[in-house]
Amino acid sequence: MIHRLYPYKDLLLVFIWREFLIRYKQTAIGVLWAILQPVSLMLLFTFIFGVVLHTTQKDYPYPLFYFAGVLPWTFFSGATTFAVTSLSGNFNLVTKIYFPREIIPLSGIAINFIDYLIGLTVYFLLLLVYRVPLTWNILWLFPLLAMLIMYTTSVSLLLSALNVYYRDVKLATTFLIQFLFFATPVIYSIDAVDNYWKYLLFLNPLTFIVENMRRVTIEGREIILWQMGIELLGIVILYLIVYRIFIRIERAFADVI
Amino acid sequence: MLSEPVITFQNVWKKYSKQQVLNNSLREELVSMLTGKLGQKELIGGEFWALQGVSFSVNKGECIGLRGPNGSGKSTILKLISNVTYPTKGEIRVNGRVAPLIELGAGMHPDLTGIENIYMNGTILGLSIKELKCKKDEIVEFSGLEEFVNVPVKKYSSGMFLRLAFSIAVHSPADIFLFDEVLSVGDESFQLKCFTAIEKILAHNGTILIVSHDEKTLDQLCNRKLSVNRSYCSFVTAAAIRNE
Repeated sequence: MIHRLYPYKDLLLVFIWREFLIRYKQTAIGVLWAILQPVSLMLLFTFIFGVVLHTTQKDYPYPLFYFAGVLPWTFFSGATTFAVTSLSGNFNLVTKIYFPREIIPLSGIAINFIDYLIGLTVYFLLLLVYRVPLTWNILWLFPLLAMLIMYTTSVSLLLSALNVYYRDVKLATTFLIQFLFFATPVIYSIDAVDNYWKYLLFLNPLTFIVENMRRVTIEGREIILWQMGIELLGIVILYLIVYRIFIRIERAFADVI
Repeated sequence: MLSEPVITFQNVWKKYSKQQVLNNSLREELVSMLTGKLGQKELIGGEFWALQGVSFSVNKGECIGLRGPNGSGKSTILKLISNVTYPTKGEIRVNGRVAPLIELGAGMHPDLTGIENIYMNGTILGLSIKELKCKKDEIVEFSGLEEFVNVPVKKYSSGMFLRLAFSIAVHSPADIFLFDEVLSVGDESFQLKCFTAIEKILAHNGTILIVSHDEKTLDQLCNRKLSVNRSYCSFVTAAAIRNE
C-alpha cells in the first residue's frame, strides 16, 4: 500500500484537507462537533442505563465506561459510512482521472481519525477528573489503535469497492452498522455475557478492541497476549485479502461505476 | 522532427457493457484473480466494442487532433491513455506524465474557495503541493480572477469557473496533455490566452491530444489529425492528414 501511495502522498494530503474543510464549512461551531457527538452519546447512554434502567456495568463511573466505548465506535461507523458512498459519489473523478482509488476512502478514515484524537483528549481529561490511576499499560492503546485503523480500513475498502458494482451495499451498510453496534460491547460489558456467546462476539474484532481499550485505560490492566495474537492475525489476513481484491477490481471501476 | 513515440497503441480493443447492473464484471475480475487468467475477451450478452483493433503512435512534441462523430471512441482513447480504464485486448505504451483534462475542474468543490480549489485540482493533475505553492500566483494571474480567489467557487459564474480550471490545467508539469472538448472556454481574449499556452507547451516539447468537433480549432493548432471511426465499424483508421 505504501509503495503504491507514496507517489500520490500530496494528493492524499490534499484530499484529507479537502474533506476536513468541507465538513466544517458553513458550520457555526466547526470542530466542536467532533467533541459534541461522542459526548452527547455518552450522556444519553449514561442517562438511559444509569438513571432510567439502573443497570450496573462493572464498578466504573458510567461516563467513563460509555465514553471509552463510544469513541472507537464513532470512529469505525463514521469512517465506514463515509467510505461506502465515497467512490460511487466521486464518479466524476473516478471516470476521468487515474489515481490509486483507495485514496478517497482513506481520506475519510483520516478525518474520522482526527475527530477520534480530539475525542481522545476529552477522554483523558475525564480520566483525570475521575482520578483514575494511570499505569504504563495505557501504552497498549497504541497497538489497539493500529488494529482499529487496520480493521476499519479493510471494511471501508471492501464496502466502497463493492458499492461501485452494487448500490445494495450502501443500503445494507446502514443495517450492518446498526447490527454491529449491538454486536460490539459499547453499551454493555463483555464480562456480562455467557462464555458460549462470548466466543461468538469475539469473532467481531471490534469487540476485542473496545473491550481492551477500557481495560488498559480505566482498569490499568495489561492485555492478554494470546487473545491479541489471534485477533491481530485475523485482522491482518482480512486486510491482505481485501486489499488484493481492491487492487484487482479497481481496474474496472471507471467502466462499471 | 522525428523523435521517439510517447504514445503507442497496438491493436487495442475495448469493450463496454450496456447493462446497468454488472453481474458479470465483478465475478469475472474475482475469478481471474484466483485463476490468474485474464478476463473474458469475447463479447457476452449486452456488451459492445467501443474500439476494435486501434493502432497508432504519437511522437514527442506533436499536437494531435482527434475527430469523429459522437460515440466513435475518441474519449475512450483518452481514457485509455490516462490509465483510467484498461484495454480488453492489445497493448498501450505511454511514456511520461499525463495531465488528463478530460473534464475541467475535476475534484473542485463548490464550497471551497478559488485558492483552495487550485490545490485540490492541481494535485489531481499531478502537481505537488510544493509546486503549487510556487505556481499559485501565476495560475491566479493567468485566470484573471485575482479579486475572487478567496470566494467559494459556487459563487463563480460558469465562465469564471472554467477559466480557473483551465489555468490550473495548463500549469501542470506533465509531458502529455489530453484536452477533451475543453477549448471553447471563456471569451475571445481568454481563448487567445489558451492558444498561446498550448503553443508554449508545444515549444517545451510537450505532447498534446485534442478532441474537438471544431475543425477550425484543430487546423489551427494541430500538426496531425486522427480520424476515429464509429465504434461499430470493423476497423478504425488512423488517417494522418498533413496540414499546410
